[in-house]
Amino acid sequence: MDLFLQQVVSGISIGAIYSLLAVGYALVYSVYNFTNWAFDAFMAFGAFMAFYAISSFFLPFWVAAIISILLAIGMAVSTEKLAYRSLRLRKAPRLFMMISAMGANLAIVNLLNLFFGGQFRRFPVENIGTFSMGQVSVGRMDVLAGIISFGVLGLLWVFLYRTKPGLGIRASSIDILTASLMGINNDAVAFIIFAVTGVLSSVAGIFYGIKYAVYPTMGIVTIKAMIASIVGGLGSLPAAVVGSMLLGILETLVAGYISSTYRDLFSFLFLVIILLFFPNGLMGKSSDEKL
Amino acid sequence: MSDSIFAMKNVSSEEISLKNLSVQFGGVRAVDNFSMTLYPGELVGLIGPNGAGKTTVFNLITNYIKPTSGEIFFMGKSLLGKSPDEICRMGISRTFQNIRLFPQMTAYENVELGLHNVPHYSLLEAFVRTPRARRAEAETRKRALELLEMVNLKDFAGERASSLPYGLQRRLELARAMATSPTLLLLDEPAAGMNEDECNELVKLIRQIHEHMKYTIIMIEHHMNVVMELCKNSRIYVLNLGSLLAVGSPKEIQTNPQVIKAYLGERKHARYNSNAGSQ
Repeated sequence: MDLFLQQVVSGISIGAIYSLLAVGYALVYSVYNFTNWAFDAFMAFGAFMAFYAISSFFLPFWVAAIISILLAIGMAVSTEKLAYRSLRLRKAPRLFMMISAMGANLAIVNLLNLFFGGQFRRFPVENIGTFSMGQVSVGRMDVLAGIISFGVLGLLWVFLYRTKPGLGIRASSIDILTASLMGINNDAVAFIIFAVTGVLSSVAGIFYGIKYAVYPTMGIVTIKAMIASIVGGLGSLPAAVVGSMLLGILETLVAGYISSTYRDLFSFLFLVIILLFFPNGLMGKSSDEKL
Repeated sequence: MSDSIFAMKNVSSEEISLKNLSVQFGGVRAVDNFSMTLYPGELVGLIGPNGAGKTTVFNLITNYIKPTSGEIFFMGKSLLGKSPDEICRMGISRTFQNIRLFPQMTAYENVELGLHNVPHYSLLEAFVRTPRARRAEAETRKRALELLEMVNLKDFAGERASSLPYGLQRRLELARAMATSPTLLLLDEPAAGMNEDECNELVKLIRQIHEHMKYTIIMIEHHMNVVMELCKNSRIYVLNLGSLLAVGSPKEIQTNPQVIKAYLGERKHARYNSNAGSQ
């Protein structure tokens, strides 16, 4: 029982990081109907920026995190401008957007490799240890990762459902052309959406980097977030969070009870089984609420 | 500066003018050398058989389609090259032949979306809920509810648009179009799918809106009694195969042999009635 609780707690923390990533995919998908493959490069980029802000400039963790977020926003927004905007304005098929996204991903990851080298780096934060809750010992960093991740997602929810620009983005996710005929500026929507993905990727990158390591291809973990958002239901933000939590907990349970070697095997198996019974994902209704 | 404002107020200038518009899709001329001019406050009809290019004219005005040649001026400024949201903010708003509401959002949210002219407040203010942001929100709320009331939908403010009956969705689209504070309203078949009673109510509603809000309106409509009634003091443009077939008062249009031919074919004059063209 203790092992179970232990793994669930740890699963919630990794699930929270997956949530950030899955929501980042879902947000872009909900408006533009394509998978932003460059997203995982933003994550690695964010982690690298925080890493060097701390290790080379000796900045405190929080300052480094904020700088990393700002730079990741810049990276995401400029990727949109350079790689997607002209395709979007010419109403290119979404396959082209995806290929352009893959190109952007390769470019960013290889630039990181070129400038910083491919070795694994330990994220330079001190171990803030664990505390015990009954029989379960909980990593403080796990708790922090969970709180910050859900805090960010909470702010995003408030933004989407309680503010005017949020309303414009929700409208764009339903029908982008009609939204623009109602005076919603498509370019402004794109700017905001990609800025948000910059925030999400950077926060996820920092916590994932702390949990494991910082290296150029660390973004490969976003494949898990993809699984999570498909399991939940593609293009829906709440579904992305639910899928991520399920996947995070499942993975740590497999790692705890069976073997961490088989962890990824079970993740994909889980995806296949879910899709057999729920072809649109657990909460996906092809034409229902997307945000 | 003050001079030019003065000048603009005095000259009863054209609200919108389409000049020799043509658009070609492959080998088909969807709109062929079409011209049309409206003065502020006019309500004109745009009719024609299916495929005549009526909706294409609307799509050209909102720059969803780029014309192959020709020009569009709105309040003296060219609309070519402007994005749909710029055109909306200049004061042009439209409804759709096939309703295009945001089905998952409430009636209220559908209208709220278009209310851009309320006092502006920053995102930070919205998060912190400063007095200014709260005042703006209250103002938005008031205006959204006023608009819903104007189309008799106030009681449905919290309902999802998709759960409203068809006729109410049409009216919601009208309220949404008005939310952006347009001066020119493009109505694409507002009476589509309505029965006679609903049509009569719609005529009343459109007339009310037209009189109270001083909009300039172009209306595409297949229900002849609706067009004839609303345009009885103005004129109707008839499009056929992309080009202008006739312009005139409802009376003139009804008796124009070319119009009758376009709608019914050469030898069926006798069967023409006031509902011709509706389906």
